[in-house]
Order: sequence, then C-alpha cells, then structure tokens
Amino acid sequence: MLYRTSGQFKTSYESDQALFPVKQDAWLLMVILVAAYVVFPLTASEFTFKALLVPVLIYSLAAMGLNILTGFAGQLSLGTAGFMGVGAYACYKLTTIFPEMNVLVALALSGLFSAAVGVAFGLPSLRIKGFYLAIATLASQFFLVWLFEKWAWLYNYNASGAIEVRTMEFFGIVVTGPTASPVTQYYFVLAVVTIICFAMINLTRGRYGRMWKAVRDMDIAAELVGINLMRAKLTAFAVSSYVVGIAGALLVFFWKGAAEPNLFDIPLSFQILFIAIIGGLGSILGNFLGAILIVALPVVLNVLPETLGISINSATMEHVNDMIVGALIIMFLIVEPHGLARFWALIREKLIIWPYPH
Amino acid sequence: MTKFSKIGAMLAAGGLALGVGVTSVAAETMYTPNMSYRTGPFAATGIPLMNGQRDYVNMLNARDGGVGGVMVDFEECETGYNTNKGVECYEKTKANAIVTQPWSTGITLQVLPRTNVDRIPILAPGYGFSPMSDGETFAWAFNPPVSYWDGASMIMNYISDGDMNSLEGQKIVLLHLDHPFGKEPLPLLEKYAEQYGFELVPVPVGLKEMQNQSAQWLQIRRERPDWVVMWGWGAMNAGALTEAAKTRFPMDKFVGVWWSGSDDDLLALGDKAKGYKSISWNAPGNFPVIDEIKTHVVDAGNSMIEDASDMDKIFYQRGVVMSMFLTEAIKTAQKHFDVGAVNAEQLRWGLENLNITEELLSEIGMSGMVAPFQMSCTNHTGHGGAWMLEWDGAKFVQASDLLKPDRASIEPLEKEKAAEYAQNNAPWPTRDSLPCE
Repeated sequence: MLYRTSGQFKTSYESDQALFPVKQDAWLLMVILVAAYVVFPLTASEFTFKALLVPVLIYSLAAMGLNILTGFAGQLSLGTAGFMGVGAYACYKLTTIFPEMNVLVALALSGLFSAAVGVAFGLPSLRIKGFYLAIATLASQFFLVWLFEKWAWLYNYNASGAIEVRTMEFFGIVVTGPTASPVTQYYFVLAVVTIICFAMINLTRGRYGRMWKAVRDMDIAAELVGINLMRAKLTAFAVSSYVVGIAGALLVFFWKGAAEPNLFDIPLSFQILFIAIIGGLGSILGNFLGAILIVALPVVLNVLPETLGISINSATMEHVNDMIVGALIIMFLIVEPHGLARFWALIREKLIIWPYPH
Repeated sequence: MTKFSKIGAMLAAGGLALGVGVTSVAAETMYTPNMSYRTGPFAATGIPLMNGQRDYVNMLNARDGGVGGVMVDFEECETGYNTNKGVECYEKTKANAIVTQPWSTGITLQVLPRTNVDRIPILAPGYGFSPMSDGETFAWAFNPPVSYWDGASMIMNYISDGDMNSLEGQKIVLLHLDHPFGKEPLPLLEKYAEQYGFELVPVPVGLKEMQNQSAQWLQIRRERPDWVVMWGWGAMNAGALTEAAKTRFPMDKFVGVWWSGSDDDLLALGDKAKGYKSISWNAPGNFPVIDEIKTHVVDAGNSMIEDASDMDKIFYQRGVVMSMFLTEAIKTAQKHFDVGAVNAEQLRWGLENLNITEELLSEIGMSGMVAPFQMSCTNHTGHGGAWMLEWDGAKFVQASDLLKPDRASIEPLEKEKAAEYAQNNAPWPTRDSLPCE
C-alpha cells in the first residue's frame, strides 16, 4: 500500500536506471533531507548537535570511506583511524601554514594527503589479500600513530603534543573553534557529508564501482575480463582514504576542537569497521544506520533514565549501556548477518507487496 | 542515501527533545558535576579519588545541610577516561553546572576553549596543563594546589638535596606515559638539564605498552641512570614498579609524580617496592575530617567505598582535598556576593580569590593534610607545595618537609607557553570583561 510500485511504469532505460526507480524512495529521501536541513536545526538542543547529530554524520562519513575499500573493493583494512589522522593533521598543518586558506579548500586538500598515504599503504594489496592485507594495513595504523607522536613538526612543537583548532571563518561565519555555534558546524558537516555521499553513490553505481565489485567478487575472473587489478585496487584505496581523511579532519575541526595522537589509535579503526560491518558492507545507506546504532544509541541510552526521571548511578548506567549495545549488535547480526542495510532492504521488499504477500 | 539514517536520528532526537541536557535541579541546590571514570582502563586509580570527592560533599550535605545552607548536587557523569564521552558529559551538564571537573588532560584540553564561551570555571586540581596557572590568559581555568611543572621542580629539588648544581654530570631518566599528560614535565626538565648540566633521557611508554615495559626497563638498565623520575598513570605505574623490582633497580632512586603514588599499585609488591618515593600534595594520616566522613557518610551507608580501610589511602584522601577546594571556593563566593546558591561566574570569582590558610584547614579538620596556598588573578594554581612520600613496604609515609617549587624558573616558561596556547587558539579572549578584584 504505502510502497506500492504498481502503476510506476518505466518507458526508457534511463528511467529504469535512475537513482530511485521507485517513487516512494525519492519521497522518503526528501522527507529525511527536510528533516536534516530544516527540522533538526530548528528543534535540536546544543547537546543534540554536539553529542548526536554531528558525530553520527562524521562517523558515517568515515565508515563510508572504509566501505568503499572493504565493502565495494573487498580489501580489508584495519588502518582507517590512521588515515583519518593523516587528514586531520594535514588540515591542521595547511591551516596553520596558510592561515588565509578557506577551510573548505583546506578540507579538500587534506583529503589528497590521506589519499596519497592510502595509496602508498595500499601497494601491498597488489600482492597480498584477505587477512594478510589486514595485517599490512594494521602496520600502517601503528606507524601513523607513532608518526603523529614523534614528528613534532606535525603538531607545531606544541608542548602537550596535541593539535588545537583556532577559530576560522567561512565567508564571514565562524565555523570552527569554541565560538562557532553548533548549528553552523552542523550545517557545514551536513553539507560536506551530503556532497560526498552523493558523489559516492554515483561513483559506486558507475564504471569504477562495477570494477571494484568485480575485483571483490573474484579478482582472477575480473582480471580475465580485462580489468586492471592494480588500477582498481589503488583507486579504491585512494578514494577510500580521501573520504576517510576528510572525515578525520571534520572530526577534529568541527567536532572535537583538539586532538591528541592516540585519538587515532586502533580502537577508532575498529569502531569504524564495526559501523561498516553492522551497517552493511557494500552499501552507502548502511554506514548511516551503523553509525546510529554504534555512536548515537549509547548516548541516547545514557540520557534516557534521566529523561524518564529514574535516578541511576552514572557508572552503573555505563555498564548497562555496554550490555544493551552489545546484545543489540549480536541480535542484529543474528537476525541479518548482512547488516542493517540489508535488513531495511528486506523490510522494503515486504512493504512493496504488503498487504497481499504471495 | 542518507535518508534512513536520518529517520533514526529523528526518532532519537524526538525522544530526547523532552529532556536533553536538563537535569532536574530543585530551587536551591548547586550543581557541581564530576566527570568520573569508574569504568575503563583507568578505573582502578579513578575509583578511590571519585569516592573521596563524592564522600566529602555528601558529608557536608549530611552534616551542615550543604555549603552555606545550600545543598550541593555532586552528580557524576561517567567518561571511562574517554575524551569523546568527556565532551558529551560536558555538553550534557553545562546548562546548569556551576563548575566543570574534566578529570583527564585530554578532556581538559578539549573543554578549555569552550569554557571561555560558556562561562563555566574549570577546576582541575593537580592535573590539566601547567600554563593554566597564568590567570591572565586562562581566566576560567584553575589547577590548585600545584601544577606539573611545580611537581617536576620539587622532585628535582628533592633529589638534588636542594642544590640543583649538584646534579651536574648525572643522568636522569624520565619514564613517562606517551600522552599529553606524560609529556607535561618535558619543557621544564629540558630547561633544567641545559641549565644545570645533567643529562635527561626521556623514555616514553606507549598506551599499549603500559603493562609490559620490559623494553623500557632494558633501556634504563643500559643507561644506568642516577635517578628515574616517573610520570605515569593507571596501569603504567604498576607495570613500571613490577619491572623495576624484577630488574632490581634501586627503589630509593625511583621517584614518581603524585599520580604514581597509589597505595593499590604498591600493595601487590609490598616489601619489594620499599624505598620508592612519590611526591604528593596531600599528606597521609588521620585527620578529623576523615572521621567526620566516616560518621556521616560511610556509617550511614551512603558511600561507595568497599571497606572503611580504603579511607586511609592516599588517593581517597586526595579526593577529599579536591572537593574541599571546590566547597571552600563556593564559601568564598557566597561570602563576597552574599548569596546562597552561587552561579558559575560567582564561583569563578570564588576560585580566583580562594585563600586556604592554616586556620581554615584546622577549622575544617584538615590541618597538615594539604599545604596552605592563596590564588589570585595572576596565579590560578596557588603553588602551595608538596611532600615527598616514601613506601615503607605497607604504606606511604612522609619523607620530607614541605617542598616548594622554584617559581622563578617556572614562571617565564608558563608565560611563554600560555601565550603560545593563546596564539594557537586565536583569537583567544582576553580578560577585559573580568576585572581583577
């Protein structure tokens, strides 16, 4: 009923291959975009921006980057946090060396640095795959964090070894630093995420996306049909690291405001990997669903008892929270091992034929 | 396809719209949240401190009906020492809070720029970063009673027997956590090394190597240092002490900062760690205030400690002292502004004009527990001084008279680094709106 597709005829190949062959999908997207661009900014409190909306967007973006590499091109990576760090430190250096630079330009350029580093660490993927590649990317993770700690030039010889974000303006509006209003930062992050998300959806549907998927499903077969493996794998590493690097820069500049090297340590890599896996490998939507489950749910659970007027010790709540989130992850993986995106796809299929199933 | 994510976010936000960040605060209470870490890798060191902080405030609430007749709501927000959670806690509590107690150096660094905008004072007793002492730059940040640089200065003073020139030609290892906290003493110690001609060998311990420091101690054995100074936290302390005992490093040449002096780290080693020293700005002992807490909180069953003997531990008592700084600042503000429930701006004034005198300490039953000090507009630390404690195999005992930091050598460095910080975070607000009174 709600999702009835009958009557929506496709009369050309173009309409059949459109981004949303089913009209309801497009409407749903419109509703969500309106919510994100209009409703949230009008209603959300500062806490909601800083603890829920902005982190969910940034983590989704990082997971999207990883998903390009792991979900679409099939190259398992455990070095995501390191590449995020490269983006963050590159953005920091760029904005301190060229204080006049527009922050958006600095963001775009810092992605290039992490893409270059990503390609360099992606070279082993030409010879090794699977778990062995995971170990190689793990090496990049350790190396990069070590570099962030030891190379004092990266943090401008700051005594604390941390990078701090000064106040920057974007066409006269303060977007970073303590005086930036959370709504502005949210809009900035939302715009960047929307643009990259749009680009990624199209990229993964196009020539490169197909190339990556072919390599993922069977690299020998892909090579036999004429796909250049080196090019496919290295472009996957480049695009993935580019997106991940921008997510890292956003994380520091638009959310945290300061960062120490161990922020980019392995727990962050795992967190991003879990978002991608639980959200659904090889899907763009899954990253957002995964981020909501992994990033937003614990925050919501934490404030829930207070909202309901139940007084509970904060440390106890933290333990309860861990248990609930852990149980939910296991439950979702049992119900649908292919992730939340697949879960939604099943629901949508059922909705299309509801209320008259076969 | 950002769509469904946002539905979820919308549901979440809808659920939250009712009460996000709003803690029910009755008419007359002061909300002083504490960012605790009773979970996570640093919980073992965090719990006694948090218990001490909480119990002291609860004691005042139970005995005196709060501070100046106004109850203090000392709620904890759990961070697990994780900076993400710390920022979340800060955002959650800042609407009603009159103070923020961020607890980790990482969280302090993140929260510090925001407190200027939100106008909430930071109270970071004995942690945070040393240049915070410069009140001209950091109008909203306070780290009484001594900073890390004060600590480094006092340790050097102690190991050189008061004459730093005697250190010439010696080799001193700084075994430190590879983290903003552990790197804190480096600028000052490097300066001293140059000035007094000793060799400083920093040996970093990564967060992943905290429990297994065999590589670091191999290096220390090879270097044959005259002294090992430790800037450790959490599991790193026990790891270092165990390794030192294993490699038979002379314990009387091993000195730690105040966070490396937890009874629990040393109890496991017992006699093997005899002679280990740790500087501390609270002296151990039996103080009337501890008995008061026992009567009003522990015996009443309102404490979270497991055993009454926990109250003798250095870290528990340090937590008590920390809360005392806060409540005395509240009293100072109450007296000056002649109000019951002080707000954040008034508390800032109270902290800035906090004067912990000997008379005050004996009045509240803490005489000898912490050194007297006074804060001012230019001095947000107080620099009261500290004692060297020594492990006698079963407990810490006081091993020195009150040590004082060498302020003449520290102050220029503080000014320099504070200016550097302000420049890195430009435009850093000046104090214009906060006259010095």
